[in-house]
Amino acid sequence: MTLASPERPSAPEPSDETLAARAASGDGSAFAMLVERYQHRVYRLACRLTSETDAPDILQETFLQAFRHVASFRGEARFGTWLYRIATNASLMQRRTRARRPAEPLDAFLPRFDRDGRHAATPEELMVAGGAAALDRALDRATLAAKAREGLSRLPDHYRDAFVLRDLEDMPTAEVAAVLGIEPAAVRQRVHRARLMLRGFLQHAAAGVRSTGELK
Amino acid sequence: MTPMSRVMCISGVELLADYLEGQLSPEVTASLEQHVLGCERCQAFVASYQATPAILRNATEAVLPEDLRESLADWVRKMGSGE
Repeated sequence: MTLASPERPSAPEPSDETLAARAASGDGSAFAMLVERYQHRVYRLACRLTSETDAPDILQETFLQAFRHVASFRGEARFGTWLYRIATNASLMQRRTRARRPAEPLDAFLPRFDRDGRHAATPEELMVAGGAAALDRALDRATLAAKAREGLSRLPDHYRDAFVLRDLEDMPTAEVAAVLGIEPAAVRQRVHRARLMLRGFLQHAAAGVRSTGELK
Repeated sequence: MTPMSRVMCISGVELLADYLEGQLSPEVTASLEQHVLGCERCQAFVASYQATPAILRNATEAVLPEDLRESLADWVRKMGSGE
């Protein structure tokens, strides 16, 4: 029989702000810990704001800028918000360098109403995009991922940025407003339009598969 | 919209985001909820509207590739050592 070693109380993890202060005074290991904490989230954000092709460059650019400017981080915002602002700006810069083929807009997928202001679609049609289970039945996982990426890429950029930060990265509206430099009301409006377009786009994709057996 | 005006599907849709973030007055909130309770299409629409972010979030999840993680770690080591 072996005796379990007594548990030692583990030291609490240093906060982001503590690590940033140490990094600012030249502690390379503190900066490495911040990179370790945020690398996945920054990569995912870059993929969602641009593409998997551009994400590696954005990841490196984000941490390069953070390394250079960490001394200017004053703690007025959370470190994560400060870093997301850098990553968002790097993503927007990268997007500008790409000659984009104009994407077909998603306006056609906005909800439609009859003359009396009632939904034109039936409850069944409206519900298709509402359940992951319903979508899973209509679209396989890879197809759903491809349609999701397509949907994001077809959003107007300013809708996409607000939607990704608010709804996909789960940032509070006030922080999204701070990152994008716009008013919270404008964030809500942009996120709302993006949700409406993407909801309709998914509904259309799922309905197309169900009726024809092929992806439209 | 005035508090007493009647909410229709079309006006309800435009109020949804503000409703979900608690930005509407109590009167408008009550009017919207009353409409949705009696409207099957709006119930379906609201459910699908609320589900959209989670569907997109799951479908666009991305995992940092191992080779990229390693090259970033190498770069951080070099930066930390002043190379």
